[in-house]
Amino acid sequence: MAHGTNSDGLLENLRLELRRGSLVLAVLAALRDEQYGYTLRKALADHGMEIDEGTLYPLLRRLETQGLLLSEWREEDKRNKRFYRLSPEGKQILKPLFAEWQSIDSSLDGIFRES
Amino acid sequence: MDGGTEREMELLDSYLRAVKRYLPRGQADDIIKELGDDLRSQIDEKATELGRPLSDSEQMAIFKENGDPMLVARRYRQDRRSLSLGWELIGPELFPMYSIILCVNLTITVVAIAAIALFTHTPITIRDFYFAVVVQILCVTLTFIILNFIRRKFPQPWYYPPAELAPLIPISRWYSTSGLILWSVVALWWLLIPHFPRVLLGGAAAHLNFSPAWHTLYVAVLPLLLALISQRVISLARPAWTWILPVMRLAINIAGTLIFFLLVFKGGGLVMANAAQYDHVADVANGWLMWGLFGPWLWMYTGVAALVYAWYCVPHLRRLLRRERMGPAATVSDVPCESGKERT
Repeated sequence: MAHGTNSDGLLENLRLELRRGSLVLAVLAALRDEQYGYTLRKALADHGMEIDEGTLYPLLRRLETQGLLLSEWREEDKRNKRFYRLSPEGKQILKPLFAEWQSIDSSLDGIFRES
Repeated sequence: MDGGTEREMELLDSYLRAVKRYLPRGQADDIIKELGDDLRSQIDEKATELGRPLSDSEQMAIFKENGDPMLVARRYRQDRRSLSLGWELIGPELFPMYSIILCVNLTITVVAIAAIALFTHTPITIRDFYFAVVVQILCVTLTFIILNFIRRKFPQPWYYPPAELAPLIPISRWYSTSGLILWSVVALWWLLIPHFPRVLLGGAAAHLNFSPAWHTLYVAVLPLLLALISQRVISLARPAWTWILPVMRLAINIAGTLIFFLLVFKGGGLVMANAAQYDHVADVANGWLMWGLFGPWLWMYTGVAALVYAWYCVPHLRRLLRRERMGPAATVSDVPCESGKERT
């Protein structure tokens, strides 16, 4: 069933695209409390936001370069870990970004109800 | 540190080294430290869950989930340049390598042409460079377009697995099949030469005979071609026998290096003129054979390939020794990964 396989693939791609857009918000929200990569990934997964390390770490770096996150290396459990937390600028941005998300959510909800 | 943990670190370090190779230099150490910590945490968690150290294939499953080292590193790169003409010809993961190889090739070409012109005291003109540069650009670009096509068509496999992890990645069937076709065509061509010398010598074949040195070379190369075909057949039938590839290619390349080195070292022509007036034709043909087709590049190439395959044999040897030392219990580490995720 080539058609079924193609539409499954398309759905998967669109789903990933949709989730990718919301990842930044999820990561920023989760980093209101300081965490290192592995625990952050687990925390996101626990809330249904599965993200592989190959996506998370480059994203963390990008957000840090953009000044939204701060990081520092610290030892925990006899191992050096890089801890991330929201920067003051990140805190400022998170609020309107979340409001934007809610607005999109309610808009979509409205569109779906109408149709 | 017990044996299991030591082994875990060995494989993890090997994976991280492979990722590091493709990372931007300034950030590589930092990224590897962080990625290493994450993977180590995953290994530890799984080991705690199972109550024992992970087997090689269980660790490999974690690395596979993380991805091909080249692709993992690509995600950290800001450089997203690619070559497109309406559709993608060379993707961003191959583009950096493409631009490096193209630059190196063009530099060597330009320098070589200029050096030859200076050496032979001939005036340098733009036309001298034009053809060589265009050919270089076309060849390198076409090669990378094909590579890109293969990557898109077969997105799963790891392309250049680190030696330590290679034994855990079954050899992909399309890789064995394409090699089988290629070497079968080469072997057929080789078999046709005694009956149709034109396939090697072209129009000059009518004026030339093969020398005894050629017959020695011919007989020596034949088993090498058969061995190359056999390796592909075995790998096709048994993709999980990953040791076959490096071991057989090591042997083939060592033999090839000796044969082609002795050919150049001993000198002498491979063909002779069948009449005195065609001596110059024999000279040209010998020049083409001894410095072109079977020139020094060939034994150098097989020599380097032998070293590379020797390097890839080391982990297999180490696994064998470990199995000898630890007995059948060690075989838990040797379960290959599922054949759907293969190596190219």
